Amino acid sequence: LFSGTGPVVVLLTVLQWAGRGLPSPVRPICDPRVLDRFIMEARDTETALRGCKAGCGVTGTFVVPLTNVDFVVWETKDTEEQALEVQSGMSLFGQALGAVRESVSRVAVQILIDNNKSNIHSLGQVLRSLHIQHKEVKQSRVSSLSELLHVHTNFLRGKVRLLLTNAPACQQNST
Amino acid sequence: MTNDNLNKLLVFCVLFCAQKTSIVHGAQALETKVALLLHAEPENPKCFAEGMSDLTCFWEEDEERTGSADQYSFIYTYQNENSSECSITALPAAGGKRLYFCRLSQTQLFVPLDIRVFRDDLLIHNRSLFIELVFLLDPPANLTLTSTGTQGQLKASWLPPSLKYMGDSMMYEVSYAMAGSHIGKVEEVQASSELILRGLQSGTKYKVRIRVKLDGISYSGYWSAWTDPVLMETMPGDLDPLIVSLSLIISLVLTLLSLLVLMSHRRFLLKKIWPIIPTPESKFQGLFKVYGGDFQEWLGHSTGGLWLRPAYFYSEEFPAPLEVLSEVSLGPALPSSALPPKASEALGEEDEDEKLKRVDSALEGWRETPQEHWPMDQLRAIHQHPAPWTQSSLLESHDAYVTLNAQNHSGEELLDDILEETLPLQVLFASGRTSSESRSDLGSFQQSSGLGRLSSQSSFEYPNHTWPPKGPGYTYMAVADSGVSMDYSPMSSSKIDDIGKGVIYTNEYKNEIPAHRRPIGTPIPFAF
Repeated sequence: LFSGTGPVVVLLTVLQWAGRGLPSPVRPICDPRVLDRFIMEARDTETALRGCKAGCGVTGTFVVPLTNVDFVVWETKDTEEQALEVQSGMSLFGQALGAVRESVSRVAVQILIDNNKSNIHSLGQVLRSLHIQHKEVKQSRVSSLSELLHVHTNFLRGKVRLLLTNAPACQQNST
Repeated sequence: MTNDNLNKLLVFCVLFCAQKTSIVHGAQALETKVALLLHAEPENPKCFAEGMSDLTCFWEEDEERTGSADQYSFIYTYQNENSSECSITALPAAGGKRLYFCRLSQTQLFVPLDIRVFRDDLLIHNRSLFIELVFLLDPPANLTLTSTGTQGQLKASWLPPSLKYMGDSMMYEVSYAMAGSHIGKVEEVQASSELILRGLQSGTKYKVRIRVKLDGISYSGYWSAWTDPVLMETMPGDLDPLIVSLSLIISLVLTLLSLLVLMSHRRFLLKKIWPIIPTPESKFQGLFKVYGGDFQEWLGHSTGGLWLRPAYFYSEEFPAPLEVLSEVSLGPALPSSALPPKASEALGEEDEDEKLKRVDSALEGWRETPQEHWPMDQLRAIHQHPAPWTQSSLLESHDAYVTLNAQNHSGEELLDDILEETLPLQVLFASGRTSSESRSDLGSFQQSSGLGRLSSQSSFEYPNHTWPPKGPGYTYMAVADSGVSMDYSPMSSSKIDDIGKGVIYTNEYKNEIPAHRRPIGTPIPFAF
């Protein structure tokens, strides 16, 4: 399983420099391949647990952020608002996956959930380092693990990716 | 006013034409995409997104089921939102079918969309999809081929679809093949706007086309239509310098090896290719250089060296005739030298031919010094100053000598037509009536033929080496043989004054044995 701690540490360092206004030689998070790997891992987890009987023993409802992106509306928002939405959503997912981790008993499922949690945590730390204030965002509820993971994947593919692709720091480095 | 109206009309026409062109072009593009989706998408309605905020859905109805667009309703619902309805338009299709379209101009991505189609309140189609996963883009524009400056390569470049946020998610497929060939290769490239095609043949025209698709991680969709093929010829082939240099080296090495072989076997090859043609020039001196190969002329002008040497032709077959040597002894009688027993035995007992040969060999063997002119000079001296022979004779050696004596016993008889040179000794010396029985060690010569009237005397008949003159008119021929040449000179007796009484016939002695015979009446070559 891929562990994103390595690149995320570099990511944190880079973003701290970016926050201070210092030019950063390397911005790995701006590389879409980093987030693509997070997305693929989330999708793999979703596919692996789709056939899980009885929801893999997970019951209850989970609060999740909305994942829909209207480009017309999205582009009207500034980067900070976008980051706020992303950060809030990542926080919700972290909480939900934490609750799921405690519910599952199968080791294989636990490993997958742990991986995704790690990825979310890394992204959340990057966003928190930007000192973005927490804001209530629109939410929805899901009642199964597969839905949760599905929403999680969509969130990463959509808003998170859009935010990082168009971040001003990454735009300076892109050619 | 009129001008302004005209200008407005002109602008309107241009815009209308441009729109019409774009509409026509758009219609063609739509038709292509519809055809693609009809082939690629099994579900209905078939939906595709062309940009960031649009969605086009359509379905096809058979002829018997076709109706007006009002009969259909297209209901779509985003997750966690209320449903909405899309207006439907109908277009005719091939085969009497009809296509019904719904186009949304504002969409939400990354969220499930439920679509339901009703015909007369009857649900005919139901589908849930993500719009960011059904992209069907236009083919890349401005496909251009350029040369990279390297053989076997072409550079393809294009303009990516202008979709925001999706540049790094686009995947391209480049197809290239030799012009006129249906077998080509395909290469994929991601998030790029150019590609270098390698491994192409030099000096060949290639056709290249490209299509685009989203990579499927965040966005996905269908392969776009192929662009129109672009043709370009690769750089002409050039000889690989390494191959050229290796070829030169190998050819040089082979050339050197062949030269070595030729030089080591040059004599053999020269003999085979250029054999020496034997020429008889060395044997016929002057025949070719002087007389130009004219043998007749050469024969006429030749110095007779050939004729003087009959031994050249007959040396191995015919023995030389007997050498006749005559000498006058003026000195004291020398002790008679005993003939070599071989010669005496040979002469006394063997046949005439063999005696002739033996005498010849004996005479040669007795010569101690080749003093060819010595007896001649002495004989001349005797004639000039006839004096009794003294013991300081000429004969200081043991040379044997024979004299020929022609006697007119019978008068006019002449020798038959015999060639003197060819006659064996016994013939030369034979006489029908006279017998020169000698008590010499030479033995007696048999007179078998009885042809001539020549008589002979040998020096050995006078053991005391006294050589009495024979008589008036006695002539003789002195022969001196030095072993290299023979010298003949006619001599006469003391009455040399009376030379007029007799005719001395002289002839050049030719040491030859010709086959022809002289006619009768030819003077006898020997002097007498």
